[in-house]
Amino acid sequence: MAKIWGKMWALMGLLLFNSVCNVSSLSVNVNNIECVYEYVLYEGDTISGNFVVVDHDIFWGSDHPGIDFTVASPAGNTVHELKGTSGDKFEFKAPRSGMYKFCFHNPHSAPETVSFHIHIGHIPTEHDLAKDEHLDPINVKIAELREALESVTAEQKYLKARDTRHRHTNESTRKRVIGYTVGEYILLTLVSALQVIYIRQLFSKSVAYNRV
Amino acid sequence: MNKGMVFGGRAACFLPIILVLCLTRNSNILPVAEAIWLTIPSSGTKCVSEEIQSNVVVLGDYYVIDENNPDHIPTISARVTSPFGNNLHHNENATHGQFAFTTSESGNYLACFWKDGSHQKDSELTLGVDWKTGIAAKDWESVAKKEKIEGVELVLRRLQGIVETICGNLIYLRDREADMREVSEATNARVAWFSIMSLGVCIAVSVLQIWYLKRYFVKKKLI
Repeated sequence: MAKIWGKMWALMGLLLFNSVCNVSSLSVNVNNIECVYEYVLYEGDTISGNFVVVDHDIFWGSDHPGIDFTVASPAGNTVHELKGTSGDKFEFKAPRSGMYKFCFHNPHSAPETVSFHIHIGHIPTEHDLAKDEHLDPINVKIAELREALESVTAEQKYLKARDTRHRHTNESTRKRVIGYTVGEYILLTLVSALQVIYIRQLFSKSVAYNRV
Repeated sequence: MNKGMVFGGRAACFLPIILVLCLTRNSNILPVAEAIWLTIPSSGTKCVSEEIQSNVVVLGDYYVIDENNPDHIPTISARVTSPFGNNLHHNENATHGQFAFTTSESGNYLACFWKDGSHQKDSELTLGVDWKTGIAAKDWESVAKKEKIEGVELVLRRLQGIVETICGNLIYLRDREADMREVSEATNARVAWFSIMSLGVCIAVSVLQIWYLKRYFVKKKLI
């Protein structure tokens, strides 16, 4: 009898494990405002994630204000907000269950590509089960282990997105070095040729012979 | 926004149904628990992308969500392209669809959705997208059946798969960092060389100028 119950709890834990692994990791183009909705099953779930603005094609580099990130609860009020950032992590507890809205707002006219990762994590507690069942501690530990591994995976995704952004910057630097240097050489030769032509013209007979 | 509140109110009714369905594994009836929802504008396309390595299984599932008129659901078209431009999945005039492929090259995989011309209302569409790559796309039920494991052992096997994915990701990140370091060092060397060459070009050009002007003035008998 105990073995059957044990198997049932394990199976219940497995089902809970399967149903609450909620991860989404995508890149989206943000023109003005882009919203992503994600459903939170239980109140008190930890919503964690990160986002990085990847396609950051800025010229001077110091005065771009970044993008704004807001999380709206199902009731409509803002639960979490990050302003003027080019990439950050976030983590907070969901005050209630329901459909949460994650919005990226781009205040500038140039479209940006934002790479985000959202994870809804749940640790089973006494509230999830029916009244006559009790919580198997192994399920709690497995859920905590799963959450820890998910946080490592989320951190890796964040690093990967930042690495992509760094790669864009490096490629842009490489192109700029070659482009601007070759342009500089051509311009230099052109300017000195123009100087010589101008001086020749000053000394030509058709223009005021005795002027110089 | 209003849309969020509408979803919130109706989702509260769905919550017990969703819990029951999740616990009984009937998630294909109302698969809201694992996907994200996007809004498709009335004109234009909405694209999502992800940078994926090669040899990774990708599973995708998309469905239109329209609570206003459930018997006349608007249709969308979808297209999934590989980084080299190959068309991996194309679907027109559908309310839901699925695609599955194994990546052959590493790069940016793009999935684009747009509204069909037949529904030209000025309303936005909500689309649920379930995009799974790598270990999340693995079919654990068939693994459990084939190897006859269940319960805690299956869960631990899944965790082991996740740990192996983490190791693989670390190696991938390390290789990318090595590539980028080479590009940085090459750029560093180039900056030094090009600056010295720029100085050399400057000196050479001014020497040429002076030599030419001196020859010119001598020719014109001014010196």
